[in-house]
Amino acid sequence: MTWAALVHVVISGLATGSIYALMAISLVIIYNATRTLNFAQGEMLMVSTFVGWTALQVLDVPLVGALLVAVVASALLGFVLERVVIRHAISATHFDVLIITLGLSLMLRSAAGVAWTHDEFPFPAFFGNRPLVVGPVRVAPVSLGIIGASLALMLALGALFRWTRLGRAMRAVAQNQRAARLMGISVERVYSSSWVIASVVGAVAGVLIAPVIFLSSKMGLVAINGFTAAVLGGFGSMPGAVLGGMLLGVLENLAPLYLPASIKHSVPFLTMITILIVRPGGVLGRVARRKV
Amino acid sequence: MRHAALATGAAVVVGWPWAAPRYFVFLASLIAINAIVAIGLNLLSGYTNQLSFGHAGFLAIGAYAAAILTIRAPALPVPAALLLAGLVTAAVGLALGVPCLRLEGLYLAMATLAFGFVVVEAILNLDWLTRGNDGLRVPAARLGPWTLATDTARYYLVVTVAALLIVAAVNITRTRTGRALLAIRESEIAAQASGINLAAYKTLAFVVSAFYTGVAGGLFALVVGFLSPDSFDVFLSVDFVAMIIVGGLGSILGSVVGAALITTLNDSLAGFQNYRPLIFGAILIASMLFMPGGIARALGTIVRPARAAAPPEPPRQGEDR
Repeated sequence: MTWAALVHVVISGLATGSIYALMAISLVIIYNATRTLNFAQGEMLMVSTFVGWTALQVLDVPLVGALLVAVVASALLGFVLERVVIRHAISATHFDVLIITLGLSLMLRSAAGVAWTHDEFPFPAFFGNRPLVVGPVRVAPVSLGIIGASLALMLALGALFRWTRLGRAMRAVAQNQRAARLMGISVERVYSSSWVIASVVGAVAGVLIAPVIFLSSKMGLVAINGFTAAVLGGFGSMPGAVLGGMLLGVLENLAPLYLPASIKHSVPFLTMITILIVRPGGVLGRVARRKV
Repeated sequence: MRHAALATGAAVVVGWPWAAPRYFVFLASLIAINAIVAIGLNLLSGYTNQLSFGHAGFLAIGAYAAAILTIRAPALPVPAALLLAGLVTAAVGLALGVPCLRLEGLYLAMATLAFGFVVVEAILNLDWLTRGNDGLRVPAARLGPWTLATDTARYYLVVTVAALLIVAAVNITRTRTGRALLAIRESEIAAQASGINLAAYKTLAFVVSAFYTGVAGGLFALVVGFLSPDSFDVFLSVDFVAMIIVGGLGSILGSVVGAALITTLNDSLAGFQNYRPLIFGAILIASMLFMPGGIARALGTIVRPARAAAPPEPPRQGEDR
C-alpha cells in the first residue's frame, strides 16, 4: 500500500466521518436538552432528504433550492414532533422517551416507504466525481466538498453555542436544568430549539451523503454510526462528537485493508461495544460517576 | 376465581391442537416461544430496568446452538439440547453482562443493540458452522423413542417448556431475588444502601434473561425448522421490546399477553408489510403516552395478577447531574 493510496483512503474516511460527526452532533444537541437519545434522528434525516428530492423532481428547483426545502421541512418536522409527541412524555423517565422515539423511527420509515417506495434513488451532488490529482494523490472532490461543508456547519454551530443568547441558554440547560429554569431560561423553548437545530443539521447531512450512499428509506441507519461517533468522543461533548465521527470514519475505511473485508459492516458496532466497555466516557471524556 | 381462571386457561392450552386448524397450532407455538423471550426480557428490563435491544441476538445464539447440536449429535434428547442451548446463551449473557455493568440507560440500550448486529454478522461470517446466508435446516427433534415430526407434537413440547419457565419466573419474582431486582429498578442507590449487591443481581438478571431467550431460541429452531441470519434482525429485538411495553413492564402475565398480542398482530399483518412498522410504531407511542404500565396494569384493577402489578412510577432520571 503506497502512501498516496493511504491518503486517498483516509480522506474518504474523513468524508464519511464528517457525516457521522454531523449525526453525532444532532444526537448530542437533543440529548443535552431533553436527556434522551433520539432513535428517530436518522429517519428524520431520511424524510427531509426525500422531501428535498421531491422538490427537485416536481418543482424542478436547483440543488440549492432542494437543500433549502429539506432544511425547512426538517425544521418543521423536528418542531412538530417535539411539540406534539415528545413534550407530553418529557416528565416521564428517559426510558419512556427512548421507546417513543423508537416508535417514531418505525413510523417515519414505514411512512417514507409508503410515500416514496423502498427503492434506492440517485441524488445529485454539489461536487463532481472526477478525481482531483495532486501529485501522486487522487482525491474525489465529493469527499473534499463533504468535509468542507461539514466543517463550515460545525463552525457555525460552535459560534451559535458560544456567542448567542440561545446558545448560552442551551449550554445552561445541558449543565443543570433546574438551575437554568431558576435563572429565568425558558427550558421549553430550549427543547424546541434543540429539536429544530438538530433536525436542520440532520437535513444538511442527509443532502450531503445522499449522492454517495443513494437516497432510500434505509439511509436513516447512518444514525447508529452517529451514535457510535458520539460515544467514541464522550457522549454529550460537541468537540468529542466531531472527533469521534472523524475517527470512526477513518477506522471504518482503514479496517478492511488490514482485516478481512467482511469486517467493514461490524466496525461501528465492535467499536461501540469496545469503547463502552473499556472507556465509557469516550476518548476525550471523563467517566461520569454519579455520587449520592 | 383465580384457580378457575388458571384451570380454564390450562384446559384451553391443552385442548388447542384438537380444536384449532394446523396453522394456528404453529402460531400458538410461536406465541409460547415469544412469551418465553418476553419473560426473559422483562426480568432484565421490567424488573431491573436494564433495557436491551439485543435479544434477537440471544435468540439467534440459542437457535443456532440447538440446531448445530441436533445436527452433530442426533442422539441427543430434546431437553438436553434445549438446556445446552440455554446454557450456551447464558454464558454469552454473562460475557456481555459483566462488562455492561458499567453502563446504564441509553448506553446499555445501544451496547445491546450493537451486540444484536454483531451476532448477525458473526453468523454470516462463521459459515463453516452456520452455513451463513444459505441457512441451516434443522432436523426433527427426538425425545426418547419418538420423533417430534408434527406441529402438534412440537406444540406440546413448546407449551410444556413455556409452562415450566413461567412457573420458575413467577417463583423468582416472589423470592428475595425478585424483590432485590425490583429494588434495583426503583432506585439503584437505595437498593445498594439496603445491602443489595448491585453487580451480582444485575449480572444474574442478565444471565437468567439470556438463558430464557436461549431456550426459546432452541424451541424456535425446532418449530420453524429452518434458520437464516435475517430472521434475527434488529426489528425482532424491537418486537420483543414492544411485547413487554404493551404487556406491561415488570409483569409475568403481562409478558405473556404482550407476546400473544404482538405475535398475532405480526401474523395478521403479514400481507401488509409496508404498513406493519407504521402500526407498530403507533402502538409503541400510544402505550407509552396513554398506558405506561401496559395491559397488565390496566387489567390490574380487575384481576390483580402479580403483586408487582402497580409499582410506583420511578422518578425522573437525569434532572440534575
